[in-house]
Parts: sequence; C-alpha cells; structure tokens
Amino acid sequence: MDTTFWIVARATGLAAYVAICISILSGVALRTSVLDFVAKNRAMRSLHDFSAWIWIPLGVAHVVALVLDRTARIAPLDALVPFRTDYGQLAIGLGTLSLDLFAVILVTSWVRRRMDDGLWRAIHRASYIAFALLFLHSFLAGTDFDAPVISSISWAAAAGLGILAVSRVLWGRLPE
Amino acid sequence: MPAWALKLGSVLTTLLVLVGSADYAASHLKNAHAPLQPPVAGTTPAAAAPTATLPPLVPLRGRTRPPSAQGTPIPSLQPSVRTADLPPLTFTHTS
Repeated sequence: MDTTFWIVARATGLAAYVAICISILSGVALRTSVLDFVAKNRAMRSLHDFSAWIWIPLGVAHVVALVLDRTARIAPLDALVPFRTDYGQLAIGLGTLSLDLFAVILVTSWVRRRMDDGLWRAIHRASYIAFALLFLHSFLAGTDFDAPVISSISWAAAAGLGILAVSRVLWGRLPE
Repeated sequence: MPAWALKLGSVLTTLLVLVGSADYAASHLKNAHAPLQPPVAGTTPAAAAPTATLPPLVPLRGRTRPPSAQGTPIPSLQPSVRTADLPPLTFTHTS
C-alpha cells in the first residue's frame, strides 16, 4: 500500500497547525503589546498578512492528501461539508468546520475595503473560534497527538494563544 | 526585528515542523493508540474469509451433462456400492 499520501497528510496537518498559530499570534500581537519586545506593529502586521501564504498551501495539501489517501476514506465533499464521514464524524467534522471558517475569514480579509468595518471585525474575530475547532480536531483526530513532543508543542501553543486571547478580551491592549 | 526576519523565521519554523513531522510519520506509519481507526476498505465478512465450495454433484446416470460441462471430468463423491430397497435374501438354494 502506498503510504505517501498518509505521511503527507499528517506532516502538512501539523505544519498547518503551527503556521496558523503564528498567524493568530501575530494578529493578537497587533492589538496587544506582548510582542513589542520582538518587533513593532508595522513588522508584525506584515508578518500577519504574510502568514496566510504559509498555512494556505499546507492546509490545502492536508485536505488533498487525505482525499487521495485510500486509508483515510475522505470524500471530496467531506472536505467541504462537515459531519458527513462514515467514521469519526465529530473529530473530522470539526476540522472541516474550522477549514470553512478560516476560508470565510481569509476571503473577507481580501475584500475588506468593500465591506463594512464592523462586519469585517466580527467575522475576523471568528478566527478564535476557528482555532478552537482546529485544536479540538487535532486533539480528537490527530494520529500523532499522543507523541509527547508533538502533544506538548500543540498544548503549549493553544494555551499561549488562549491566554492572550482572553487577556485581549478582558483588558484590551495589554500594558507594557 | 525587521519584517523580513519575522517572515523568514516563520517559514523556517514551519518547514522544520513539516520535515520533522514527515520524518516522524514515516517512522511511525501506524499508531495503535490513534483516536481514529478508519475501517479498512473492502473487508466485508464475506470478502474477508471466502469459503471453498464444491460444485454441485451432477448425477450422470440417465442424464446428459450440461453443455458447460462437456468434456470436463466431474468429480463424484457418491458411493459406488449402495443398498437396494429390496427385502433381504433368506433362501439361496435352488434345485
């Protein structure tokens, strides 16, 4: 049995997770001062815009590899419509839902100038929900999530982002 | 830190994770403790354990072979000596 697609799917899934962590971290840093010691807002904004071009190809490769892999048995429609698979409906469906949300957030960011600012902000804040769904997806479906190194990095990234997000909601721009 | 350094660092970090996880996945192809274990395709009970079947016995006495069986030997498991449905013989002497 050819295992290439299976290996690509797992590797790109983990790499996409890290890239999305970087994207959200740089986005949160724009509104807080926690990373001011690393770079100014202008550089952080540039990174936030650029990071989409890291996770998009990885996310697409993750989905395409899973669809092409015979073991995973994911139909093309399952990658777009959540909770359709004949096994692991919740675990896989959360990933699909997260992907759909990130796609909406991405597209609305590209057409931001044509949108109402309040609506765009509301949609963009859904990225916190999308990340929470992504984390649950990786926790419930991730083949390598029980590996100590991978698990510790994933939990640390999620916890760090969670603390920053809650701080941002509660206190706004954090004091230096 | 300039923007290009942040971008380069992000790309390198992601590539490092990509290569590292690919190496890990290649050396741990199957994880028995993985939360999802998709069913293997095409393993219905009938397909998984096919049973050998013998062709139906074709009695030759008084019948002709079907066209598909012409010229091919047909195994017969029927015993060649049988008991007849007649009363047992009790008197064998004749004058």
